[in-house]
Amino acid sequence: MTPQLLAREFNPQGPLYHKIADIGGFQFIISETIIVQWLVVLAWGIIFFILGRNLKERPESRRQVAAEFLVTFFITTVVENMGENYRKLTVYIGPLLCFSLLSNLMGLLGFRSPTSDVSMIAAWGIITFFMVQINKFRTGGIGGLGSSLLQPVFFMLPFNIVSEFSNPLSQTLRHFANILAGGVIGGLVYFALSGIVPGGWTAIGIPAALSLYFDIFSGVIQAYIFAMLTISYVASADMA
Amino acid sequence: MDQNTYNALVLGASAIGSGAAMIAGIGPGIGEGYCAGKTVEAIARQPEAQGVLTRTMIIGDAIAETTGLYALVVALLLMFANPFTGKFVS
Repeated sequence: MTPQLLAREFNPQGPLYHKIADIGGFQFIISETIIVQWLVVLAWGIIFFILGRNLKERPESRRQVAAEFLVTFFITTVVENMGENYRKLTVYIGPLLCFSLLSNLMGLLGFRSPTSDVSMIAAWGIITFFMVQINKFRTGGIGGLGSSLLQPVFFMLPFNIVSEFSNPLSQTLRHFANILAGGVIGGLVYFALSGIVPGGWTAIGIPAALSLYFDIFSGVIQAYIFAMLTISYVASADMA
Repeated sequence: MDQNTYNALVLGASAIGSGAAMIAGIGPGIGEGYCAGKTVEAIARQPEAQGVLTRTMIIGDAIAETTGLYALVVALLLMFANPFTGKFVS
């Protein structure tokens, strides 16, 4: 990402938005985020379809062992951190982890990571917010929802209301800023190194080492952390 | 002062401001270093707990990083998506 590309990154009318149809004055505009997101969904769809085909009661193939390992990992992550009552939440946490992970790693294939678009992660943050509120209501009723805002003393009400919104917000910004920072720093280093000599052969190799940290390590860690934080926010909203 | 002078002034001030915003990078640096140091102490005392300790450290580090990332978002906004340019009122 060069500085010029970077400036367009933040521009709502920029080239990240493609007009795919113009039907009677109604312009159908689609962003690159959505397209790469579809690729991620398609990729996981194919992977899980292959993993889940003709399963046996006693695993015979490596494919089934891999599938069972993955599912067991999701279930133990959820159950160890939230308790047996929340086993059902695996159906949200598992796919969230997969989706976020592959979205972060799409940068390696030359796409723009969908997770470096704040609106995609904001959607997950909003889901977390509603899950927390619904879980409070489910376990404590309307009284639990109200009394949780008055803890530990009643005049903490404004701070508690702010904190209800700031938790999903900080979760969103952390993930977004990490992935964006990876792209921006990688792009700036690439841009700087390629300007040293004509031809730009100095840019070969060194950005790869940075990409190892910013794209792979940071991407994997952030996906895991986002899922863990969702788990802990929802679990701590249990009023029972 | 016309619009161009105003924009130049705003962009210059924004560049200084985004640099100043990144001073916030000190905080997470110290915090994460402290966190990692304590983890090394804990692993030295109880090497068999290394897996759990490392996992906890990485999660803690990522959360401690948040304030630094807020500063980064502010700095990037000032540099590349400045909300103040073109808002000249005479």
